Amino acid sequence: MRVRSVAAITVVITCVSSGVALAHKVVAGAFASGDRIEGEIGFSDGSMAANALVEVLAEDGRKLGEVRTEEDGTFVYTPTEKVPIVFRADLGAGHVAEVHLSVDELPARLRAGSSAGVGAPSAAVTPSPTAVAAEGSAEAPATASATASALEAQRTLLAELVRNEVRPLRREIIALKEKNDLQSILGGIGYIFGLFGLWFFFAARRANAKAAGR
Amino acid sequence: MHIVDGALSAPVVITGAVLAAAGIGLGLRRMPMEKIPAAGVLSATFFVASLVHVPIGPSSVHLILNGLAGLVLGWAAFPALFVGLLLQAVFFGFGGLTVLGVNTVNIALPAVIVGWVCRPAIAASSPKVAAIWGAIGGALAIALTTLLVGIALAASGSQFVAAAKLVFFAHIPVMVIEAALTGAAVLLARRVKPELFDALGPAPREA
Repeated sequence: MRVRSVAAITVVITCVSSGVALAHKVVAGAFASGDRIEGEIGFSDGSMAANALVEVLAEDGRKLGEVRTEEDGTFVYTPTEKVPIVFRADLGAGHVAEVHLSVDELPARLRAGSSAGVGAPSAAVTPSPTAVAAEGSAEAPATASATASALEAQRTLLAELVRNEVRPLRREIIALKEKNDLQSILGGIGYIFGLFGLWFFFAARRANAKAAGR
Repeated sequence: MHIVDGALSAPVVITGAVLAAAGIGLGLRRMPMEKIPAAGVLSATFFVASLVHVPIGPSSVHLILNGLAGLVLGWAAFPALFVGLLLQAVFFGFGGLTVLGVNTVNIALPAVIVGWVCRPAIAASSPKVAAIWGAIGGALAIALTTLLVGIALAASGSQFVAAAKLVFFAHIPVMVIEAALTGAAVLLARRVKPELFDALGPAPREA
């Protein structure tokens, strides 16, 4: 049968591809990191989008700003408004990356503060208070200011350390989400065969009915 | 090759959906029953082929194999490739559900054109010449697909020449590989089951 030879080709291709089961699609992620939002954009085969223009938009389409990705596909944006943010990058050839961040994914201080009063603190200079710091700020005035500032510095340092530790994990999770395993490939093939089997069934029933009607 | 959600403007998406629906309808009608298993197998081939990646520079492209589908299936390439694309979107997140119509047209229309252009020559000539026609068909289908992707992007506001060029040049290696694959498949098919290519010829009307 001819079908058998096509099936043989399919099997060969399946075997070849299961080794290189990579999706060619755009992968993007963004998360709050201190006062800033860090994100990265790349292709799901592991290559990153270097020097890509990322537009920062409010949900209503208003442009809040734009940033460029680094060589490794990462970008940093400091949000100034408490609104849902959309990061959008057009990588050409129909590849558009979009990341939506809702208000509760924004940096803790921005979430806690007023909607537009934060300005644009340069994160490198200002020690960035985190969610932990916001909690602790109630007791801070009670202690001596020197201790408070030392504590504050320690917290900032700790938060930074934790962020650095967690960052590769976040990346791995993003990559993991994009993974195609053999199950989904086989599942898809199964669906296809099932659908065409159904089609065959209907076509055969119609042919039978026609033959019976004659 | 798969355009993703949000890259195209609404009119393009709607036009694509309407054209795809028309093509699928036509394909389902014109399909003789004996070809349905072949359509299923080619649909599965297409579904899997997109996972075979060819790394190119900063990015990578994948096989499509729509030429082969068109050569064997003719108009029935529409439903076959649509099913493949649908499952790719659902399982792998390739493309997206809103742009499914556009992607179907971009990939299936070249298949139909290639089938229409190359199938008579493949059915009529010797297996070796048929293999060459198959190779031409395989490469042509990709070239036409890149053209359609360029048009779809241009209609949504991208610069046509820039967009089309980028897609076209990125896919030259794919064209070469697909030409070889399709040529080999046609050679095999002509030797093993030559009637595959003329079954849809002048008298396809049965079911």
